[in-house]
Amino acid sequence: MADAESPSESATNVNEPLDLVRLSLNETVFVKLRGDRELKGRLHAYDSHCNLVLGEVEETIYIFDDETEGADEPRTVTKNSEMLFVRGDSVVLISPQQ
Amino acid sequence: MSAAPQAPNGANDSRDPSGFLSEIIGAPVTVKLNSGVVYKGELQSVDGYMNIALEQTKEFVDGKLRRNYGDAFVRGNNVMYISADT
Repeated sequence: MADAESPSESATNVNEPLDLVRLSLNETVFVKLRGDRELKGRLHAYDSHCNLVLGEVEETIYIFDDETEGADEPRTVTKNSEMLFVRGDSVVLISPQQ
Repeated sequence: MSAAPQAPNGANDSRDPSGFLSEIIGAPVTVKLNSGVVYKGELQSVDGYMNIALEQTKEFVDGKLRRNYGDAFVRGNNVMYISADT
């Protein structure tokens, strides 16, 4: 009520980077992690550390080993989880899926 | 002492790093991460942690275009530098 911003403004404006993450709540997001891992899942919750709670997650792990050396694409392993808590310090990038 | 002195050489002199960052909001930028990955896009916003929001982002790995993102949030601890494209 005492907010200078109108509610509709604060709901859609991107004033700081984390607003982009806020606008992705309950949407599918793509997350790039350290260690050549990627996640795709529905964003249930986040905080300022980028700790994330994701649902219906598909994790892709890129493996660069002797087998795939010289190949164009690294070997990938995918894992599926119903719910995942991601510790923020391993997050590199978060992007809303279009 | 505590108050920032007025820039004597014109209003556009950005003498501290955050002044530079706020000046290039909305401009096309290159962001390089410690991993060597490079992002090019339009700078939407930056905060004190150097978390970054980019629009129309292209991801380059080893100089090759890998991916496109409509919007991208980059966690600040991964950032090596932000450069305004000219």
